[in-house]
Amino acid sequence: MNFMKNLTRGIIRENPIFVLLLGMCPTLAVTTSAVNGLGMGLATTAVLICSNVVISALRKVIPDNIRIPAFVVIIASFVTIVGMLMKAYLPALDASLGLFIPLIVVNCVILGRAEAFAFGNGVVDSFADGLGMGLGFTMALTILGSIREILGAGSIFGFSLFGAAYEPVLLMILPPGAFLTLGLLIGLINWKTKKA
Amino acid sequence: MEAKEKVQIDWKVVFKLGFILLLISGVAACCLALTNYVTAGTIEEMNIQANTVARQEVLPEATDFEEVPTADVEKTAKEIGMEKPEELLEIYIGKNGSEIVGYTVKTGPSSGFGGEIQVLTGISTDGVITGITIIKHNETPGLGALATGEWKDQFTGKSATEELIVVKGAAAKEDSNEIQAITGSTITSAAVTEGVNTSVDVYQIMSK
Repeated sequence: MNFMKNLTRGIIRENPIFVLLLGMCPTLAVTTSAVNGLGMGLATTAVLICSNVVISALRKVIPDNIRIPAFVVIIASFVTIVGMLMKAYLPALDASLGLFIPLIVVNCVILGRAEAFAFGNGVVDSFADGLGMGLGFTMALTILGSIREILGAGSIFGFSLFGAAYEPVLLMILPPGAFLTLGLLIGLINWKTKKA
Repeated sequence: MEAKEKVQIDWKVVFKLGFILLLISGVAACCLALTNYVTAGTIEEMNIQANTVARQEVLPEATDFEEVPTADVEKTAKEIGMEKPEELLEIYIGKNGSEIVGYTVKTGPSSGFGGEIQVLTGISTDGVITGITIIKHNETPGLGALATGEWKDQFTGKSATEELIVVKGAAAKEDSNEIQAITGSTITSAAVTEGVNTSVDVYQIMSK
């Protein structure tokens, strides 16, 4: 099935974070906790699906030589819409992520998928691609966020794990922790996949 | 020698492309306007509500809050002699019935580690800080962001007659004007305290 293939590709085989290494900027900045990673991932997924579907639907209308500005307009509009909806209906998430939402505009995962997939494929396939890439992105961000939160704050999704005696490794929720965790995870994945 | 080829601009294509881009942007703008129309009211309402809850929290005695007009806020900022008068954001008079019970002052010192920190301070008419809360900040999680937790409670009960001082290391003395800094986040601690001190100055003027 083509649909399933497009859907699953983004989750493991072409995971945007661990394999394609796209969208590093929000990845490193946001993943200080599991909830932040999950929230950012889902917001990006929403934008990615919408932009993929619209760009795929309009691919016959948008002339080749102005496709990039057209993509940017479409993506920026969806990001702003997601931002406004989040502010209005999910204020708690907005308080911790609000700053990063505008960053989705420059997330290369979205422009990358628009250019590499949606502009040349049908609406249904593009939807599957957006959903799969989005889920892969969300999964990666949640894993990163969880590891950093467990080590750096001694909790997971806000629940304390080790009690008060645990001295958190502050470094892990500071920027160096993001680089360390991401680097080690990518190394681990490469090691595993090479072996197989 | 070969003649240089003259670049031909096909104006028809240029206008066509421009028009298509205009069309896409126009549709996008309409979608944005629609979403804004739907959400603007809710966002505004939630901001107002969040601010009311925060004011109530720092000045529990009051039942009503009356906003001090912007012009007066600016005048007060000048009177205190603030270096950056724009850091004094809002003043509300807290009332219980017709009696004034205290003031809430919102300040936004920009000296935080991650820029502006918005601090709301409640001060009762007997010159006691009744509570502070941090409305908005961009401090480091796990370090400066700890200011939003239990740390800020040490301001509650401090006297609003003298300037608060941040101390490092040694524990702050009880019943003094000392504020214990967050370990590793002296800049954040100082910025929040600066905001509270501004509020204390505002209180001195307002209560005259």
